[in-house]
Amino acid sequence: MPLLELKNITKSFGKLTALSGIDITVNEGEVVGIVGPNGSGKTTLVNVISGYYHPTSGEIYLAGEKISRLYPFQIATRGIIRSFQSNTLFEDASVIQSVMLCSSLQYGTNLLQAFSGFKVYTNERAKIMDRAHQILKMLGLGNEGQVKAAGLSHGYQRTLGIAMALAANPKILILDEPTTGMNHEEAMFIVDIVKKINSLGVSVMLVEHNMKVMMNLSTRVVVLNFGNKIADGDPREIMNKPEVVDAYLGVETI
Amino acid sequence: MIRQRIRPDMLPKLIAGLIILLVLIFPVFTTNQMILSMLIMSGILAIGTMGFTIVLKVGQFSLGQASFMAIGAYSLGIILNTLHFPFWPSFLSAGIISGIFALLIGLVVLRVGGIYFSIITLAVGELVRIVAENWEAVTGGVRGLTISPPETITLGSFELNFSAGAVPFYYFMIVLVAITSLVVWQIGRVRIGETFYGVAANPVLVEHHGVDPMKYRTIAFTVAGALTGFAGALYGSFQSVITPGEFGLWQSVQLMMMSVVGGLSNIIAGGIVGAIVLYTLSSELSSFRIYGIQPLLFGAAVILALLFLPKGTGLIDIWGRVWQKVLAPKAGTTNMSSCTKES
Amino acid sequence: MPPANILVDAFVQSCSYITMAFGLVLVFSILGILSWTHGQYYMLGAYVVYYAVAATGIPFPIGILIAGVLIGGIGILVKKFIIDRMANFLYIGVATLSLIFVFEGAASFAFGIQNKGLADVLSGVANMGSFSVSYQRIAVIVFTLLIMAVMYLVLNYTRIGLAIRAAAQEPAAASLYGIDVSWLSLTVMGIGCALAAMAGGIMAPISPVNPYIGRVPLNMSLLAIVIGGIGSLTGAIVGGVILGIINSIVAYYIGYFSEVILFALVIIILLVRPQGLLGASQK
Repeated sequence: MPLLELKNITKSFGKLTALSGIDITVNEGEVVGIVGPNGSGKTTLVNVISGYYHPTSGEIYLAGEKISRLYPFQIATRGIIRSFQSNTLFEDASVIQSVMLCSSLQYGTNLLQAFSGFKVYTNERAKIMDRAHQILKMLGLGNEGQVKAAGLSHGYQRTLGIAMALAANPKILILDEPTTGMNHEEAMFIVDIVKKINSLGVSVMLVEHNMKVMMNLSTRVVVLNFGNKIADGDPREIMNKPEVVDAYLGVETI
Repeated sequence: MIRQRIRPDMLPKLIAGLIILLVLIFPVFTTNQMILSMLIMSGILAIGTMGFTIVLKVGQFSLGQASFMAIGAYSLGIILNTLHFPFWPSFLSAGIISGIFALLIGLVVLRVGGIYFSIITLAVGELVRIVAENWEAVTGGVRGLTISPPETITLGSFELNFSAGAVPFYYFMIVLVAITSLVVWQIGRVRIGETFYGVAANPVLVEHHGVDPMKYRTIAFTVAGALTGFAGALYGSFQSVITPGEFGLWQSVQLMMMSVVGGLSNIIAGGIVGAIVLYTLSSELSSFRIYGIQPLLFGAAVILALLFLPKGTGLIDIWGRVWQKVLAPKAGTTNMSSCTKES
Repeated sequence: MPPANILVDAFVQSCSYITMAFGLVLVFSILGILSWTHGQYYMLGAYVVYYAVAATGIPFPIGILIAGVLIGGIGILVKKFIIDRMANFLYIGVATLSLIFVFEGAASFAFGIQNKGLADVLSGVANMGSFSVSYQRIAVIVFTLLIMAVMYLVLNYTRIGLAIRAAAQEPAAASLYGIDVSWLSLTVMGIGCALAAMAGGIMAPISPVNPYIGRVPLNMSLLAIVIGGIGSLTGAIVGGVILGIINSIVAYYIGYFSEVILFALVIIILLVRPQGLLGASQK
């Protein structure tokens, strides 16, 4: 059974149809790339999967469970975590605090424990702090722990966003254009990170513009255009299809 | 010798501890009813202030906290007068009722964001006051509601006679403030405090990390409402007579002023300091019998405080800075001492 | 349905709320702050008109203009020397709330707390068949329509109006286009406060004047903009009208609980449609 299944997803905003009859599957362990020109519906797709929007029609299944009408916080507790392009940070928090907060959040709150369980909390906190350090090290932010998140450069902020998403222990990580605004070196660094994350068993849905990154990482690529899926399959085959090239005129070639 | 055993940075904590000790045995030094009365009122307002701050910490700006004091006070009065229950169960019920009101109001009102929330809490506050003014049969309307003080407590040969003076109320207030501080402290220590911060700082982000912002806003609002209700019940019992006008917008705004001027970095200390300072100011000003002077100068004082306090800080942060300056040279750092040597 | 003259009275009341609400929304759109003090600008405007007309014999319309200019000026000073010096939005909120008491206290101190009555400036009534309306009240309606027309023209057909609308939607982009946003926000603050003051002034002959008359109009204006949607200028007008009509109907039939019902109504509207009737949707 596929881990994530989108069946015939349509999302309309009044007269504007952003997504139309989309079928996508993500199997465990895969890295699925989502490409398409601006306005093709990539961001709407991510918002629908994460529960921020509810599909106008169609269903989404996570490991067989229907999640189409759940709220974002419910979908997040079931293991789908997304990164953001903007609005990614907690103001005033330091890097390590941000990551720890995201780990923490996953534990939810048992009210009784909340008001009495200090011992349990300190033990937990030590574990959370260790894990946060590990994650930051893996993502190259090991030395920036005490820095205020808002003070990081743009590239590091995006990396922090990925760290925060990873801290939440996702089954599926949805990365929304993680390399935007990065130069080639930085983008390749992100590629490394995503490969590491994937090797840890996390399935990835990668929405990207940067072709090199996409080709490097994806086991499969889905192409969107004007809200429709126009191709789905092996990256190299897809990129040579005429309809894909047509839709994607002006994008850097490989 | 002693200097070598007490680390310099422990000094502010020692002094704070000493002050707390003094506060606890204060009535031994003076039975001046006025001073005791002022401290009791400050304590009550401190609880209300901490309630405001709790809600602020979850990202919402409530302009109606005084209405929970009203609900607490009036619930106590109504239960005592109509149901004739003994005092302490009635007191407990009054706080719980206030919490339930907060829960119900919160479930409905916390969904809306920022400025709408402030406007609605302001509206709710006014609503409670208007209902209290007009539902004369139950609340006594503008003439007021009488609340009898607790029965005398006898512990062995020791007697707490609430009808005889302010001292027993003083300890009543201390206990309530202590319990409130404990609750607030605990919230700050454990995970729910972090979650509150997340909900306040970036609700969309935490929502995508498995946190339902509504749940935590409601928890904060309900806890604040219950604690403020208890404070209101104490207030009603201490004053003996309550009128709707004592729980209006002015009082809600005062709680907010005390919170912000006191300082938001430490909910407990900021609430207590803010309440004591501003309440004392307000009392002193009301002794001027000229119309309009009190609100004018009080409002002006708050604005001046805001203008001169360094960015985002409150009175308690000044305490911290003062100690930094006092302690720095003793710490033996080079910069300070080398400056004086060069002159 | 209440008798026609009650409805007219209500409509007259809502006119003053509309003008105030309009000023509130203007200030909020540009400055991002809700000026809680707006009720007091209303109150001060009423006092200016009272003293101008009763004590100095200045003609009524001039008195209103003076009120607008004077209080608009005070608003600008408040913005420049208090609001702009506040460290964050929380402080701004506390400051504007504190100003409520500063102004009320100052007014009590300077003018005393007794009601001051301004006699009708325009005497006489117009006969409208089954009921009559005083010219005074007609003046309020005319004045409000005039103000709204002027604002509409300014906002839509002048360069400064365009600047205001641009800054309201996108302050950062506006400043990149050469609009001096800080000067503009002072101007907008001035206009917003002037509107409140003139609303107070126009009502001076109709309602008594005392230091506390700003509170109810502020509550009503807040409710009006909540109904209409907080970012929306037309929403403020629509909200004000709706509020005025409902207020009169409920007050006529039920009496004192009208405020309760109004608040409850607003809360319900907010829950069903959080952005107000005409506000922009959040998502």
